[in-house]
Amino acid sequence: MSLLMIVVLCGCETVQPWERGILAKEEMQWQTNAAEAQLRNQIYASKEASSGGAGASGGGCGCN
Amino acid sequence: MARPKDDRNASLLALTSSALLLPAYQCAQADAPPEFTELGMRYSKYDEDDILARKAFGGGSERYEIDVAQFHLLAPVADQWSVALDVAWEDMSGASPWFVGESASGSPKVIMSGASIEDTRTEVSGTTRYYYDRGNAGINYTYSDEDDYTSHAVAVDGAFNSEDGLTTYSAAVSTSHDNIDPTQGSIPTNTLNARKDINSVWMGVTRIVSKRALLRFGLSYTYRDGFLTDPYKGDDRRPDERKEWAASTGYRHFFEAPNAALHVDYRYFNDDWDVESHTVDVAWEQNLPQNFRVTPFIRYYTQQEAEFFYNIEEPGYEHFSDDYRLSAFGAFSYGLRLRHDFGNWSVNFDAERYKTDESWGIYSGEESPGLVDFWRYGFGLDYIFR
Amino acid sequence: MGGPCRLRLEVTTRGAADTAIAAAVSEVRRLELKYSRYLADSLTSAINRSAGTGTPVSIDAETAGLLDYANTAWRESGGLFDLTSGVLRRAWDFKSARAPEQRDIESLLPLVGWEQVQWERDSVYLPRRGMELDFGGCVKEYAADSAAAQLRRHGVSAALVDLAGDMAATAAPSGAPGWPVGIRHPVSREQAVARVLLPEGGLASSGDYERCLVIDGTRYGHILHPRTGWPVRGLVAVSVLARQCLVAGSAATIAMLKPPGEALEWLANLGVPWLAIDADLAMHGTLAPVNAPAR
Repeated sequence: MSLLMIVVLCGCETVQPWERGILAKEEMQWQTNAAEAQLRNQIYASKEASSGGAGASGGGCGCN
Repeated sequence: MARPKDDRNASLLALTSSALLLPAYQCAQADAPPEFTELGMRYSKYDEDDILARKAFGGGSERYEIDVAQFHLLAPVADQWSVALDVAWEDMSGASPWFVGESASGSPKVIMSGASIEDTRTEVSGTTRYYYDRGNAGINYTYSDEDDYTSHAVAVDGAFNSEDGLTTYSAAVSTSHDNIDPTQGSIPTNTLNARKDINSVWMGVTRIVSKRALLRFGLSYTYRDGFLTDPYKGDDRRPDERKEWAASTGYRHFFEAPNAALHVDYRYFNDDWDVESHTVDVAWEQNLPQNFRVTPFIRYYTQQEAEFFYNIEEPGYEHFSDDYRLSAFGAFSYGLRLRHDFGNWSVNFDAERYKTDESWGIYSGEESPGLVDFWRYGFGLDYIFR
Repeated sequence: MGGPCRLRLEVTTRGAADTAIAAAVSEVRRLELKYSRYLADSLTSAINRSAGTGTPVSIDAETAGLLDYANTAWRESGGLFDLTSGVLRRAWDFKSARAPEQRDIESLLPLVGWEQVQWERDSVYLPRRGMELDFGGCVKEYAADSAAAQLRRHGVSAALVDLAGDMAATAAPSGAPGWPVGIRHPVSREQAVARVLLPEGGLASSGDYERCLVIDGTRYGHILHPRTGWPVRGLVAVSVLARQCLVAGSAATIAMLKPPGEALEWLANLGVPWLAIDADLAMHGTLAPVNAPAR
């Protein structure tokens, strides 16, 4: 994966700070609704054998 | 159309790079504290389909349902800090698979716990975050309390931007200390009181690919230690530690013509219980006139069974579980989010359908009769004090 | 800020627009109060008052950034762009058609010279009594950019800030390739010599035909050369389009300070859209309308 990452990063163009307006749009964020995303991930983690990946895993609950 | 060309001229380049150090051009990506206080409330319903008669002893029966209320408050404090408070209340009721037995025809069927489970969970989470020139750092404490389970967790995370602001390096560590105290009732439990610790580290790199695209990679390692067996499932015996790896990547691309953003996320997961999984999430955030936004999304998940998963226990194994969550299966889910902003208010609805099947997975294994399908609905209201 | 200022923005609800507008307007006011040399309690006045007293004036990161920027512009212009040259205005009365005495000009020349300014990250000091800093050469353009940044931060995606002809656009209005803006005719001010569509970035203009001075039949501009102390006999008006209004403004000012031939060559090499009008009112540059003289 690190090889893929290097290849991809080299393909990036220089985007100046004032050209980052689109990237700052709400619909371009990693999560567009944090509360819903949190619940969704909690449900998936309790019904599947996998969890995590997008940050350190938070606290546990009796659901899994 | 008059459009500025590339800054190739040395004088222009010198002026531009000197100008960009001024505060007006330090475009806020993620390192400015929130400008205004935000308040959010959400109600969600999680509702599992009934288990089919052919998959359960004693005929079809209702499964689990959860009502969830969430509260969120985020406020700027001083110039460079923010605080957040998140509270969630869950009300759970229904039945879940107790154990799997062999029917007269030879096919495995589940025995449900009976509609005996009734529990509530309260989770309180506080975060404080500091924003500095080139990043931010936060610390979070989360407390979760149920009749039969309590958890205390602390997480620290930080993000650091490269000088040109094109690359962001992030890292997080978390530790959780959980106590399991199963409710003694109609079914015998696998423990009377047990502990489990979860420690996790995560590293991520986010990169601006173009004016319209962002890319992210992440790698996490989680170590679970303690009583990892399900306390309520008949004869569940799992190892007392688990080492998990997850590698993830995400991509965001904005399309001007349709005024929409494409979200693609992928995760690879692997652990020392022999579970391996792939998850793909795709969403299309479509802006509509009058500040409406509709977001259809699909998700595909497939996992390999844990090395000690069997529907029917064979004598002599150290570890055993017939928990459907450790079986090989594939899951498709799809849904829709709808959002409308008006003034300082934002309202959103969402619905999701989740369906599982052993044959949808890329891994072969014994099909568990306990696989779950569910619906999830939510309604949220947010307000910004500006 | 001298001249009419205008905000144009595309929003869907009135409530969100009001706070965004208020933030943009207060940003412009903030910069005016901070950097105006006409206001006694501005930072600029404090710096100028302390000239030659031996006490440096404390500055914040924004001011240090502007001084760094002014230094770059000074270097790139071969010493023509000079924030200390404003002091020469004491000798020149543009309302009369008379040149000052040469000795009056020469007595002011020692007070001009960017290389004399002592500045660090957190302080600035003018070593001679009577020296002056004038941020007028860059603050209006910077304010246009900064107001546009405020609008962006308040969720306004498409906006055009126009501070008396210095403009900054955050993004084109939806369905259009850019904001339609006119470049004023240097003589008949209400007439546009050229129209451009500004998608995002800045447009700045320099030049003022009315304020020029005619001495012995020779027309002089109102921009003073930092080394001779005399007005430059250069171009009449220059407009430049760049990603920042600040950079566009300095490029236009530098072009006005150079001899006409050199200025046109310098502008052509910049690689950004530009328009220049010479003393014969002939138009030059990528934005010049084809076959349309300004007169």
